[in-house]
Amino acid sequence: MTVDGRYGWQEGGRVVPAYAFTHGRTRSAGEELPLEALVTTTELATQNEPALQMEWRTIVNLSVRPTSVVEIGAALQVPVGVARVLVSDLANAGYLEVHLPRPSDADGGPGHAILGRLLDGLRAR
Amino acid sequence: MDYAPARAGRPIGRPAGRRGPAAKRELIPLKILVAGGFGVGKTTFVGSLSEIPPLSTEQEMTALSVGVDDAAAVPGKTTTTVAMDFGRITVDHQLILYLFGTPGQHRFWFMWDELARGAVGAVVLVDLRRVDDSFAAIDYFEDRRLPFAVAVNQFPGTPAFPEATVRDALAIPPACPLLLMDARDPRSSLDTLVALVEHALARSATP
Repeated sequence: MTVDGRYGWQEGGRVVPAYAFTHGRTRSAGEELPLEALVTTTELATQNEPALQMEWRTIVNLSVRPTSVVEIGAALQVPVGVARVLVSDLANAGYLEVHLPRPSDADGGPGHAILGRLLDGLRAR
Repeated sequence: MDYAPARAGRPIGRPAGRRGPAAKRELIPLKILVAGGFGVGKTTFVGSLSEIPPLSTEQEMTALSVGVDDAAAVPGKTTTTVAMDFGRITVDHQLILYLFGTPGQHRFWFMWDELARGAVGAVVLVDLRRVDDSFAAIDYFEDRRLPFAVAVNQFPGTPAFPEATVRDALAIPPACPLLLMDARDPRSSLDTLVALVEHALARSATP
């Protein structure tokens, strides 16, 4: 990132198509990550940050604070599918920890306990 | 093959202590959909609640939608993208809630399927001057058994109708919350989310 907190490469516009950083893949190898899946930077990523390619560095820097796949897509200005591939690659390399939703009811939604906490949290705002 | 049953009281999954004392906090993402017709106030609603400026992301349209959208007009192209607004609320040290403003038209239902999976529920925003746009969303969430609340966004000049009339006109089930609100007002938008989550919680207690 540049001093003003923007992503330097956005200033001059993209010279490489988005799918080039994923080597043409728009789908990640494993299970599709939900848009809201959160990622956090690992210690390994912090140590290796200077050596990482530009897009990886951007993601690793963003995810020092918990960040979702959809936020990464928006920050990099790439479609969500591309963000998913980048995130899976970084996770496979040990640079990101992925925090998935925890489906616990019959329809795959959050369970009673989590809904209760969500309600308490919203009411306290 | 015989597997020993999981012992009571022991969490299934990651063994305790595997990540050592420096283990990061467990985080749980949640999502709520904000649906409704074009111009009904979805972006305003998301913006009134989000701790980040509402962002827009592009979502690929898959082959399912080919033939009903622009992709059909581009030879050899099987995907195109649609923009979707979203916002974020950090609820507590573990829970982070995302709000997704979803395009209302039928042709975007393929997106709703992905978004609806695992969602807490949905807020259907309604403009009483243009109720037709709301039916698709209400039907969709009812079919998918996703908890939803109907929020009538009060635009200047919105006609005043008794609740029963609105419920009847929109065919809103009795248990589903119906609110009159102003999407520009963060308090009003928050009250709408609270009503939805109360409804979702009540439903999760009585499956």
